[in-house]
Amino acid sequence: MELRRSIMDRRATFIRIVTLLGGVYFFLHFLLPESALVALGVHERHESITNGFIVVGSMALGLGLINLVMGHGGKLVFKRPGWGNSLALLVALVSMLVITFGQWMNGLSSSYDIRQVQLIGEFANRIIDDEQDPARRTVVPPLIERVVALTRYTRAKLDSITEAPVAGNSSSSNEAHTALAVELQSAAVTLREPLEKVQGVDFSTLTEANKAILGEFVDRANRLGGAYSALRQSDQSLTLFSRLHEVIYDGLFVQLGAAMFSLLGVYIAAAAYRAFRVRTLESALMMTAAVVVMLGQISAVFLMLNLGSFGEDAYTVLPKVRQWLLEVPNSAAFRAIRLGAGVAGLMLAIRMWLSIESKSFGANAKR
Amino acid sequence: MGGLEHATPGVLVLLAFAGWMLFRQLTRANNGHRHFIRRIPGIDAIESAVGRCAEQGRPVVFTTALTDVGPVLFACLGVLHSIAKRAAQYKLKLLIPQYSPEAMAIVEDTVREAYRAAGRANAFDPQSIVFLSSEQFAFASGYMGLVHRERAGAAFMFGVFAAEALVLAEAGQQVGARQVAASVSPEQVAFFICTCDYTLIGEELFSASAYMSREPVQVAALAAQDRVKLLFGALVICGVLCATAAQFYPVLKELMPHRLLVADWSAWLAWLLSPFVWS
Repeated sequence: MELRRSIMDRRATFIRIVTLLGGVYFFLHFLLPESALVALGVHERHESITNGFIVVGSMALGLGLINLVMGHGGKLVFKRPGWGNSLALLVALVSMLVITFGQWMNGLSSSYDIRQVQLIGEFANRIIDDEQDPARRTVVPPLIERVVALTRYTRAKLDSITEAPVAGNSSSSNEAHTALAVELQSAAVTLREPLEKVQGVDFSTLTEANKAILGEFVDRANRLGGAYSALRQSDQSLTLFSRLHEVIYDGLFVQLGAAMFSLLGVYIAAAAYRAFRVRTLESALMMTAAVVVMLGQISAVFLMLNLGSFGEDAYTVLPKVRQWLLEVPNSAAFRAIRLGAGVAGLMLAIRMWLSIESKSFGANAKR
Repeated sequence: MGGLEHATPGVLVLLAFAGWMLFRQLTRANNGHRHFIRRIPGIDAIESAVGRCAEQGRPVVFTTALTDVGPVLFACLGVLHSIAKRAAQYKLKLLIPQYSPEAMAIVEDTVREAYRAAGRANAFDPQSIVFLSSEQFAFASGYMGLVHRERAGAAFMFGVFAAEALVLAEAGQQVGARQVAASVSPEQVAFFICTCDYTLIGEELFSASAYMSREPVQVAALAAQDRVKLLFGALVICGVLCATAAQFYPVLKELMPHRLLVADWSAWLAWLLSPFVWS
């Protein structure tokens, strides 16, 4: 028991020290101007430090997951009331995990393939840049060897693109996808022409003529990279995992969220009815202000109703009164609430920073 | 004037004053001074709502909704601690639906501690802290379902709320729960006033914990924040008077006190810190 208490005390002390140091860091970060932070070398390290919080957050998400599985798993195993709902939740949870993982794996594979093709243009561009820079030219392999490697790699990629299943997907009923496949084949054909030129020219040195040929090669290779990327992304959107994700997340989850949001329309009406029952002076004032604001929003109605000079006056005056109500008393109240809450938050923050804890959630209370 | 990217000498002075005032009030409390707290009916209603649940045998629901780890959450935890302690004493079922997984771990620790303080540590059920979802409306629908299924006798909504506030409050209203809400989001306060039995506005949320527990540390912090607010109020009035006077005497514009608050000290700090600059 004594040992446990000692461990708890040390833990509490450790937490206090970490809290204090963390507070000092963020306080100084707020206190010092950016120029001072840059001069101290803190500016570029700040992102790494804040990333630490994201890591803690992602760990906490695991806690939420465990809580869900424990709570609903227990209900399911012991067949407590509502176990059917728990089963639906767990099935949905596992399904989404599997689908998202599958989609992620597909994405990884696509990204790798796209990168392989985009490298052609980048490599050719790099060859030109390196040859033009005397410092870099000495540390890279000879130009001719790099050009041979480029042409060999490009030819292999072009052959695989022409024969690969990606091109075969053009049989899909999706017209956009077919158009992308045709565009890719066209880009592959147009790249072969400068490729032949590159192979037929002597690249022992980089002349202006050679540079122009390589420049044309880079343009066409970039077009191929763009077309390949578009087709692979289109391919990915047609996979089973993507379609399932679309159905469950975009088609179901997002729409259910929108349905919940739409409930607000009904609830606001119900709440307004309760609020506008005039029983006290305050509620009478509130109702009057609300009516003026609502009428000020639709003041054109007074003109449409042909109420003569009254309608014209209402059309002119009500929007101004509405604007005044929103900008003066309403803003003043909002600012007062925010100021009060801000000061209270500041006091609590100082207390937490310096570990001036009350017994409610302090270490002392745990004894 | 745009937002402050970093503190200025004026902000530092205000922060120092806030810190000094807190320590002053803590010292006074430590010396036996008892601070006065005015009666707040909304906080009194919390205790009666929990008592009503005990009479009816219905559960209590407490949510911090969209509140993330920060001062607002810690203010809510003080109230949660008091409610959980009472729930433990009355052997009531307490349900705490959660939106933020980060906050959940802290909430669980607080409730466990409250049960221990009530001498009923074994009665604490970790499953009473229910993680619903980190999606706003998925959380709202989960909360609605929970309140309806369990037929909550009292619902306490404390913290930061957005558009889901009315959905949550209506759920409690539909099952006839006694509801007390406290929000630092002024936009949602109006919805709570329409739907809940009692609403704590803005800083009242922070004072609820001190009011319920009467612990010297919390009450002293409450007294300190009132005094800091007085200073802020005086600064606002001073600013209004100066700005009005400057309309008539333009020369006063150069003497405006807000210039101290927004004055830049980059050059001075750069000189001060130059010996410590990392190469």
